[in-house]
Amino acid sequence: MQHNPDDLKYTKTHEWVRRKDDVIEVGITDFAQHQLSDITYVELPELNRRLDAGEEAVVVESIKAASDVYAPIAGTIAEVNEALANAPEVINSDPFGAGWIFRMKPDRAEDVDALLSADAYEAKLPAEH
Amino acid sequence: MTAWAIKIEKPLPYDDGVRLQTALVNARIAETIPDTVLFLEHTSVITLGVRAQDSHVLLSNADLQRRHIDLYRSSRGGDATWHGPGQLVMYPVIRLGEQEADAHGYLHNLEEIAIRTAGDFGIAAYRRPGITGAWTQAGKLAAIGIRLKRWVTFHGMSFNVKPDLSGFATIIPCGLVGEAVTSLEKLLGAACPTLAQVRERMERHFSYVCRRELKCASPADRLPEELAKILGSNS
Repeated sequence: MQHNPDDLKYTKTHEWVRRKDDVIEVGITDFAQHQLSDITYVELPELNRRLDAGEEAVVVESIKAASDVYAPIAGTIAEVNEALANAPEVINSDPFGAGWIFRMKPDRAEDVDALLSADAYEAKLPAEH
Repeated sequence: MTAWAIKIEKPLPYDDGVRLQTALVNARIAETIPDTVLFLEHTSVITLGVRAQDSHVLLSNADLQRRHIDLYRSSRGGDATWHGPGQLVMYPVIRLGEQEADAHGYLHNLEEIAIRTAGDFGIAAYRRPGITGAWTQAGKLAAIGIRLKRWVTFHGMSFNVKPDLSGFATIIPCGLVGEAVTSLEKLLGAACPTLAQVRERMERHFSYVCRRELKCASPADRLPEELAKILGSNS
């Protein structure tokens, strides 16, 4: 599995969060994309939609699986990754980079601090054997 | 880590199965039950995955009614499939990410369970890249389609033991044109095992592959009300 980058924050539901100026960028981790396998469709959220922490923001579908993606903290959708409409498989190939899903303007920027560190997230993951 | 096995003996209508799974998923998310695996058969039904095309159902609604086949749009991934008596359905409601086995990928594990189960009866089943399921030379033996809610799984796998395969002729199975569907009965003839025999093997392989030892849920376990109701009316 790909290394979970140290400069990101994580949730128990396998989202990652990257701070970018006054917004946060959100995607799903390598563990998450691996469970779903080949991703074929992403139902992106509407711009300006207000979400509470843990609220369902996105549905990601693969050939045989479908999963919700949750808002890691409270905020408003500021931007969605339109490129995923034509190339959802980027989530599989580059989950922590070009596979980002949406950007949010947080209600409280400091909420990010309470999310998991890469080490804490990794400790929750099953070890490969 | 142990998980409950719940076995339902009488073919269950699809919507009851969805209600049951919804109750289990919510209870699992709330951590009032352990990981739980349902084993059942459905009454005759066509289901379409979230993004399946309606055109993959080949019969009109009137023809479906005449043949007593229900039609449902399901929340699972995947395309069109058929369920009915003689097909063993396994619906694991398990939280992913808690066992080492989960690192291999859940869909891969479901395929592995189907392949090992088929192998126990002398059938060499295998994977085909990009088309999840358990395949044989004669066609697809087991179909897979899942949904995750807060990383708790539902829906799952259907394994053709001895169903009336004409049910699959009413759809384009999994949206794959020109691919056949098969069953243990078609492959083994009179040597075909019973559903209970296949289930026993499948339970064993689930325990090993998913690293969750199955034990039968008993009335002493605190079952969700919805579950107790459906089980009560079913026994």
